[in-house]
Amino acid sequence: MATEAKKGELEWEVKIPKKKVPDKLFFENLKAAVIDAKTCSRCLTCVSICPSGLIVNEEDIVDFPHFDEKCLDCGACVRVCPRYDYQPKSGLGTYLEFTAGKSKRFKGQDGAMATEFLMSAMDMGLIDRGLFVDRDEVWRTSVFHVRTPDQLHPLPLSGTKYAFADVIPELKKAVLFTKKGVGVVGTPCMVSGIRKLQEEFPVFREKVKLVVGLFCTENFHYEEIAKYLKDKGVDFTKLVRTDITKGKFIAKMTDAEVKFKVAEFEEILPSGCRVCTDFTAVESDVSVGSVGSAVGFSTIVIRTEVAKQVWEYIKKTGNVELSEGKPEELDYLINHKKEREKNIPKL
Amino acid sequence: MKKVGTPDYSVADKLKYHVSALSTAAKEVALPLNITTHYPRERKRQPDCFRGYMLFDPEQCISCFQCSFVCPANAIWMKEAPSGRYYPTVDYGKCIFCHFCLDTCPGGALNSTKIHDVAYRTMEEMLTLTEEMVEPPEIIREDKIVVDYVIDKTDLSLRRTKEVDRLIPDLDRPKGVPMASQCIDRGSCIACKVCEKICESGAISSIRDTASMVVRMKIDSEKCTGCGLCVKECSMQILRLVRK
Repeated sequence: MATEAKKGELEWEVKIPKKKVPDKLFFENLKAAVIDAKTCSRCLTCVSICPSGLIVNEEDIVDFPHFDEKCLDCGACVRVCPRYDYQPKSGLGTYLEFTAGKSKRFKGQDGAMATEFLMSAMDMGLIDRGLFVDRDEVWRTSVFHVRTPDQLHPLPLSGTKYAFADVIPELKKAVLFTKKGVGVVGTPCMVSGIRKLQEEFPVFREKVKLVVGLFCTENFHYEEIAKYLKDKGVDFTKLVRTDITKGKFIAKMTDAEVKFKVAEFEEILPSGCRVCTDFTAVESDVSVGSVGSAVGFSTIVIRTEVAKQVWEYIKKTGNVELSEGKPEELDYLINHKKEREKNIPKL
Repeated sequence: MKKVGTPDYSVADKLKYHVSALSTAAKEVALPLNITTHYPRERKRQPDCFRGYMLFDPEQCISCFQCSFVCPANAIWMKEAPSGRYYPTVDYGKCIFCHFCLDTCPGGALNSTKIHDVAYRTMEEMLTLTEEMVEPPEIIREDKIVVDYVIDKTDLSLRRTKEVDRLIPDLDRPKGVPMASQCIDRGSCIACKVCEKICESGAISSIRDTASMVVRMKIDSEKCTGCGLCVKECSMQILRLVRK
């Protein structure tokens, strides 16, 4: 499509980041500082931005086969990686409102407020695409682009999935396709990755309108958690929901229930989560989680003006049943994650 | 109930119809109306813009892949030549002769002919390689007469002329609108230089200034052929074609 020519768009400058090891490729820098240092959170921000061949390999780890030939040394991965110059964030963060609610339209694990926020933003005309994490019958994750509320009903989109999902590579595709904007739900590490992308690239600043963060203690590589839960006697085909309440992991199946302490997960805890201190996704527009409100309600932490507008809209349409949020209930998990600060390797 | 039988004509009517039938037969004997083209001894004259067998000029090709992208039948496959460049091959088993490839070719490397009667023995043979597309296919011409279809107010008739039609028309192909690539969002450029690598004409250049840690990207509109290869390859989708 032809557009009118504008002056000055034929020459431009791009700043390149500083290398920690000057005479090596940018990917080698990233590999040394993040992947090999075992601080990679597998948020896949680097994978989304890489113009060449950065991928997730069979072991579910970020990798770049034949990088010595293929790496273009542009430094994009280093620019966007939230763990390259890792500034750990913790606590509850700044917020405008701490509340709790339950969606009347959607059914979810608790109050389905993450779904409600994205779909209300879509009704408002703020976004035209929402990214949700879908799962198949064996709880393998995939990312689903939702454009109308009808698409939500047959899919198990809401509810916790304890396996990593490739949200950010899909987010980039969505950003390139969208006309109005994109809304996305993600774990704290993904939120940090999205913020980094927005900091670096105007296209993400313009198009990513609403970032819903989730309360997150940890997440797992699919193969590892699948094997672990199988050993514990969890049948994936019958699994209905997974949840963590009062320090216990509960896997509810159609005919049985498996319970064990969360601390037992320590052995399969991914290295990236071992150094993560952010429980409430402090960089998001709005954080949603189960802890800190009554059973069946979602805790909502509204942090930015955009989220506040959406929240006012939700209240106005009457799609929400309000409740009271209890910030003090979050303290235990916030402190639990803050303790992981000691695991961060010092460079 | 309606009965079906022979129509009830008067004697005068019957006589009139008999005379009419006999006169038509007599007319056909004297001046036969021949509506069939006697191919291959005769050939119908096709218009110069006929969409037939395609010819290819490697000199003009800039390997921009536009023909293979635009092809709705997926008939064009880009094959690597010994020189390292990619040239189109056409699978006539799939081709629907829409000639979108011709229309989209920015260099005018593809040209049309009026040849529409090429025979193949196998399906594999229908995949016409680049080398085979440079020269027109060998055809044995038996035709001595060109047939024009003439439609006047009342009837269609054929006009036969004793001449041999030129199957490769000498056309001045309309030149495309000159386009050049430009960056629409320089802030989102990651300076991966994929555009520079892919550019055939060397219109995109980059200088890495290690002292001030910047990459200076530059597009030379004069050199840009407007093939759009960089627009397609750009991972951030920030290049667009604009009128020169």
